[in-house]
Amino acid sequence: MKELEKTKRISIATTLFILIVIMALLAYKRPIHIYAVNTEHTLEKIVSKDYFVSLKEINNPDYVLIDVRSHFEFEKGHLENAVNIHTSEILLDNSKKVFDELKENGKTVVLYASNTNEASPTFLILYQLGYNNVKILNVENSYSNNQLITKSIDVEKSNADIKNFIAESVKKAKKVSKKNVKRPVATVKKAPKKIITVKKKKKAPAEGGC
Amino acid sequence: MVNRKLAKVSTFRYKILATVFIVLAGGLVLLPKHEKHEGIKPELLLANLISTERYISTDILADKIINNDPSFILIDVRNEESYSNFTIGDALNIPLEKFLDEVSINYLDQNQYDIIFISNDNFYAEQAWMLGSRLGFKNLHVLEGGINKWFNTIINPKKPTETMPEEQFVLYSNRKAASMFFGVAYPEQFKPAKKDKAIVKTKQPAPPKKVIKVKKKKKAPAEGGC
Repeated sequence: MKELEKTKRISIATTLFILIVIMALLAYKRPIHIYAVNTEHTLEKIVSKDYFVSLKEINNPDYVLIDVRSHFEFEKGHLENAVNIHTSEILLDNSKKVFDELKENGKTVVLYASNTNEASPTFLILYQLGYNNVKILNVENSYSNNQLITKSIDVEKSNADIKNFIAESVKKAKKVSKKNVKRPVATVKKAPKKIITVKKKKKAPAEGGC
Repeated sequence: MVNRKLAKVSTFRYKILATVFIVLAGGLVLLPKHEKHEGIKPELLLANLISTERYISTDILADKIINNDPSFILIDVRNEESYSNFTIGDALNIPLEKFLDEVSINYLDQNQYDIIFISNDNFYAEQAWMLGSRLGFKNLHVLEGGINKWFNTIINPKKPTETMPEEQFVLYSNRKAASMFFGVAYPEQFKPAKKDKAIVKTKQPAPPKKVIKVKKKKKAPAEGGC
């Protein structure tokens, strides 16, 4: 009898255990978006800088242009044959299908936005999700007479030598100050006056009311 | 004989099973961390990316530096050469290549300070921001427009033409004062010497516009009778 009871207990325990495991498996939902690349590899990619496409290369048949600006901007003007997927939409199912399909077909996705800076975070998200066929078009888009103008630019180019600029301004100022000095700036003194008028106006709303 | 042996083994069967499970569970602990899934979810990262909260304008940064705001750290993510040539304020240098080094992480992963990334453009700064925010670091910001915009707005502000609205003149005088703070000298500076301090305190040229809007609202209540 005792032996029988023991086995009963054990069998109950095992069925319960198995049930729990099955329930857990059923309840588990696989996340839709999973990183395929960790941050270290992403950093390597960033530093390698091999993800730029210049404006001359876009006629390559393997390149698919994707405009990550808003729909409004896209309608206003876009590059030829470009597809519009706004940055906020890149994780939606439809976009995922597009990116998966392009990856399967061996095409290269070329992202562009108003400028290269804007496209780079989108690129990084896609890259970290495992789309290693994504690149950035190194351009700047602007409008002139409602015409989209696309120019190549240099990313992270330093436009001015600030150190020299400051040193030179000091030199210049000293030279001028030796020759003649009398040029007080009128605009500078206007600033404090303005703020006083602001205060007066603020008091007024208190009068209103029933 | 065989039966007896089997029976002997079968008395241990639960213990054997238990040990097998324990060994397997121990194996789980030894498994390497699944590194690919480190950091916050992609959906959250995208949401953070779309919000423009991370940007700090050059004017605000200048204001912070001038007022000795102790709540932020500037981090220059360009290479050492450009860093040693020029950087804003007393920025620290963490080149992008060294972004995930242990020393750098100690600076980045904390809750005390606002961190502002700077580079020539937003490009590197934004990439640094992406990596940092994926790893869940808090209070990361990007200097909008980077050092190039810093030069164009703070160091070498453009003089407004006469037809421009008056705020532009106020903004210009503020920026000019800030540029003096950062070492730029103007010829007229040598006579009226104590200009910049007075102007710095009266920053924020935006309010005047808003006041006009308030006035319009005042008209509305008059219509509604009680």
